[in-house]
Amino acid sequence: MSSNVISTDVLIVGGGPAGLSMAIDLANRLKQKGEEKKIMLIEKGSEIGSHILSGAVIRPKVFKDLLNVEEFEGIPFDSKVEGEDVVMKLSTGGAARLPFHPPYMSNEGNYIASLGQVCKYLATVAETKGVEIYAGFAVDEIVYENGKVVGVKTKDTGVDHHGTKQKNYQEGTVVKAKITILAEGTRGSLAKKVIDRYGLQGKNPQIYSLGVKEIWSVPEGNIAAGAVYHTFGYPLNDKEEFGGGFIYGLSQNRVAIGLVVGLDYPDPSFDIHAAMQIWKTHPEVSKFLEGGTILEFGAKTLPEGGWYSIPKYYSDNLMILGDSAGFLSTPRLKGIHLAVRSGICAAEAAEAALLKGDTSEKALSKYETLVNDSFIYKELYPTRNMRAVMQDGMVLGGLKMGIQLLTGGACLMVPEVEADFDTTQAASKFHGIPFAQRFAGKLTFDKKRTFDKVTSVYQSKAMHDEVQPIHLVVNDPDLFQAVNIEQYGLSEAAFCPAEVYELHVNKEGKKSLRLHAENCVHCKTCDIKSPNGGITWTVPYGGDGPEYTYM
Amino acid sequence: MALTIISLMKQVPLPSEMRMGDDGLMDRTKAKSIINIDCSYALEAGLQMKEAHPDAKLIVCSMGPPSFVESLKKAMAMGYDEAYLLSDRKLGGSDTYATGLAISTMLKHLGFGKGLNEDFIVVAGRQTSDGDTAHVPSQVAESLGIPQATFIETASLKGTDIEARRIIEGGYQMMRLPIPCALSFTPTGVPPRRPSLAGTVKSREREITVFSIEDVGLADEKIGLSGSPTIVAKVTNIKSDRAPIKMIEGQGEHALISNLAEAMKAGKNTMEVKEKKEKKEKKRPEGFEEVDFRDGARGILTWAEVVKGEVSRPSLELLTPARHLAEQLGNDTKVTTLLIGKDVGALAKVLIAHGSDEVIVVEDERLEEYRILPFASTFAQVIWKIKPEIALFAATTAGRELAPRIGMKTDSGVTADCTALEIGEHISRKEKRIYAPILESKRPTYGESKLATILGFVCPQVSTARAGTFEVPTADESREGTITPFVPELAEEDFAVEIIETVRGEGGLQNLFEADIIVSGGRGSVGDEMGLVKTLAEALNAQGVNAEWASSRPVVDEGVAEYARQIGQTGKTVRPKVYVAIGVSGAVQHIAGMKESETIVAINHNAKEPIFQHADFGIVGEYEDILPELIEQVKNGFTFGITKKQ
Repeated sequence: MSSNVISTDVLIVGGGPAGLSMAIDLANRLKQKGEEKKIMLIEKGSEIGSHILSGAVIRPKVFKDLLNVEEFEGIPFDSKVEGEDVVMKLSTGGAARLPFHPPYMSNEGNYIASLGQVCKYLATVAETKGVEIYAGFAVDEIVYENGKVVGVKTKDTGVDHHGTKQKNYQEGTVVKAKITILAEGTRGSLAKKVIDRYGLQGKNPQIYSLGVKEIWSVPEGNIAAGAVYHTFGYPLNDKEEFGGGFIYGLSQNRVAIGLVVGLDYPDPSFDIHAAMQIWKTHPEVSKFLEGGTILEFGAKTLPEGGWYSIPKYYSDNLMILGDSAGFLSTPRLKGIHLAVRSGICAAEAAEAALLKGDTSEKALSKYETLVNDSFIYKELYPTRNMRAVMQDGMVLGGLKMGIQLLTGGACLMVPEVEADFDTTQAASKFHGIPFAQRFAGKLTFDKKRTFDKVTSVYQSKAMHDEVQPIHLVVNDPDLFQAVNIEQYGLSEAAFCPAEVYELHVNKEGKKSLRLHAENCVHCKTCDIKSPNGGITWTVPYGGDGPEYTYM
Repeated sequence: MALTIISLMKQVPLPSEMRMGDDGLMDRTKAKSIINIDCSYALEAGLQMKEAHPDAKLIVCSMGPPSFVESLKKAMAMGYDEAYLLSDRKLGGSDTYATGLAISTMLKHLGFGKGLNEDFIVVAGRQTSDGDTAHVPSQVAESLGIPQATFIETASLKGTDIEARRIIEGGYQMMRLPIPCALSFTPTGVPPRRPSLAGTVKSREREITVFSIEDVGLADEKIGLSGSPTIVAKVTNIKSDRAPIKMIEGQGEHALISNLAEAMKAGKNTMEVKEKKEKKEKKRPEGFEEVDFRDGARGILTWAEVVKGEVSRPSLELLTPARHLAEQLGNDTKVTTLLIGKDVGALAKVLIAHGSDEVIVVEDERLEEYRILPFASTFAQVIWKIKPEIALFAATTAGRELAPRIGMKTDSGVTADCTALEIGEHISRKEKRIYAPILESKRPTYGESKLATILGFVCPQVSTARAGTFEVPTADESREGTITPFVPELAEEDFAVEIIETVRGEGGLQNLFEADIIVSGGRGSVGDEMGLVKTLAEALNAQGVNAEWASSRPVVDEGVAEYARQIGQTGKTVRPKVYVAIGVSGAVQHIAGMKESETIVAINHNAKEPIFQHADFGIVGEYEDILPELIEQVKNGFTFGITKKQ
């Protein structure tokens, strides 16, 4: 065997809740059977957890299924949700507290946590069970034999931005595996390739939201640990922008705040990062931050399409887990418990397949059976039309959602779901008020409470090796110039929360794209929202990207 | 037996993550650990040699706590065959002298050294980010009795020799070294490879041999604090003397530059100067024994480095602290300067005029160009003859490798890269003793955030002084002094290292020291071969301002600018009234060469670059956009507030 080919029984790409749960549960099962199998997990972040971002309010129950009592006790949840989950409708200057609780949104018995910290912990649990974890390696290729997935290849390193091999060139490593698990998280770049290649896409295209999040250190008394607030309304336009904010009280006088906005909005100049900064100045939000300092910034997309957007998530020697498969419950705003459950289902299917020595699609269809027997189905199916109707806006959509509650999910006049990049309108066709006009006077940031994107990137601690191929690929530069720049005014510059895309206008008025790939925080929005699908997000060198500590 | 390449490696806290603990000391525990940057370049240099000589064996050695295993594993993942760690609590507190001795003892234990297996090359990093001394490689080489070359960029095996490219001030040198030898690498050669996954998987299973001091046969008295001739007596904070930057904002280039002009007129941010509290005179404790540890050693010895037939500027600067120390010591303490070269006798008078009392002249045509082995040997012979209490070197590339090698020969240790030198006393409450007089060598450390005072207890007390820190003393042609010729005993093997060629930029570009405005271009300004940078300097000159253009190191490396224009630790240290940094990232090495400038303006497209932490005014933007407008406004009379030359 060549020196850059290694092999394993099970290979998991991605060290998030789905991949780690799969690893732990499979290791447990195999141990019970007295079987020795090699389980390898590869993560692109420099450490497990450094690329993880979530709200996060976690439903703990599924972790009791995954872990034994002692292991469960060790989970570093931050604080238990205390008191009532407050939901506020914000208007320009004021707020109204909802008299009722939206269905599915109760958080009793749940925990607020840094999902990154939880993953870090799960990794130590997995390692004690013999799982081999390799963080800081980027996987950019699926290896096929006879049309079937047989493993992956890590990214070649020591290549400059022209693609020229440098003296320190290192060819990537081929990892051959009986079963390959894609648990890359939201908009997985390998999952995307394999879904395309095998035509696994679901009934609807997957649609996403972008969440931008900050952690603050605030004076004692600003917020209690365990307090949960959700907002909707301001600064979003209910008719066109689906989303809202969250404010969670953490231990040690810290607070996690964020704004999550559906990427199916039409305004090509809409800027979610700026919207969050504006949201923070609303008195109902700013009161929590008063006198505090920011600790960390991050951004990530989340798949919100629900049941009908889920692709077929298995094939020969292959299973797709968690966010990569779209297991996320939009009405509950939660996906972690589904990710963990998908990991457990996949582990059970993998166990049976490995013991039988049959990892074919047919054998792995057990994964689907298990998912359909689990709460994943029970939570996602009745709300299958929920996100789709929100493309009608939050008022009419809300009404249709109410109907679904009575009918068990059935609903007439469900709008056809469009991919997010199709919902953006060209600048000349957009008849709403452009973002900058809507928030005129509110777009200067004081760098104390509100920040520009460059400062936010600094707070995410994102770093990228300068000597490497640019990981954001403009698929067709001519088309990009003609459409994305000329017609849409480079909406990438607006939606990217990390100032990766810059519209440059020279003295003659000629517009061009300037790419600052080194700013990228790996949220994947450009891969999702770029008009015409103009940008492909590929994975940069392993270990590059943000260094989240408590996201 | 096949060739063995031995890489010396240290694990350090990630410099950007070093935080101050509550106790005011650097908290290294919270920072992530990495392989010291320079060491990682040495690791790569070893791997590059192996690619050309597949039979070679690669081993990596380190000394430190057990946590260093992490980095040794990484080195194995990169391709190293064996790893060894010398780890013992008793090694704590070792200075560079004791560290050099301990590492060379480990290498001898592994069978490498003079009279043992001689088919080996030692590769090491130039210096560590948490020590910054650059001593250990020289000291290991001296202790093993093998030739060395420091500040090496690239090296390759040529037959049975090594050919290496060494960075020197304003140029480079190609040299040939025999095997065995030691090479220390700058972080400018081939960047370290990323370990492959396959390599990492394999390294997981591999054993790392951990030695205790008994295992390698080190005696207790030679290690740790007790085996260290120097100690860190105190560490104080350096208060940044630069106030926070004013970032210039504005829509479009025209507004940006106009706003810059406005902001410069309004003035930069200034630091609040807090009134210093009157320091109470420290009471000398009573009943303590006063110890003069000099054991008869007297006087100060300095080295006059000769470059292109002239005494180098840093060697003249060195006479300022030398005279200051002589005055503090009193009793007619003599400043003696050692002058080595071919036909250099005439320079002795220059040295006397600048402050030397005696010049010892060694003339030998083989010593025309600086070479580590014969120069170190000559120096040691002079030291043994005249027994100085203090020996000073300018911290040039030559001084920084020569001083530690000599410190090893005289068992006295060295303090590197000092910015202040004073005579003081050391009160040891434990021993109830007062050591006086003693040289207090002060040097910035931890990324220039702290000032450490280092003391040596073995004479001569050896220090190197940072170039550009002290003024050149005023020459007094009427000063009198003695000139003493000296003939050292040099062995044939002192000439084992051959200099193939020395390349230095033409013209010293003295103008850079006198310019009022320096326009400096970095890596981010080479898109047009520095055309805009040069045009800006010309436009300023056309306005009657004394302006000059310069560059950072990467630009020189790419051949866009000549060495003489390089600003930074390995180039020139300048102090213009205005320093305009364009596309300069602000690596510490560059900052060291320009931070004394009165006003610093930074233009860079990346707001995260460290240059903005060292500047007074900043503009974020592409230089291709900003500079044409800037040049336009210079033509209309904007001169950064500098008035025309008379």
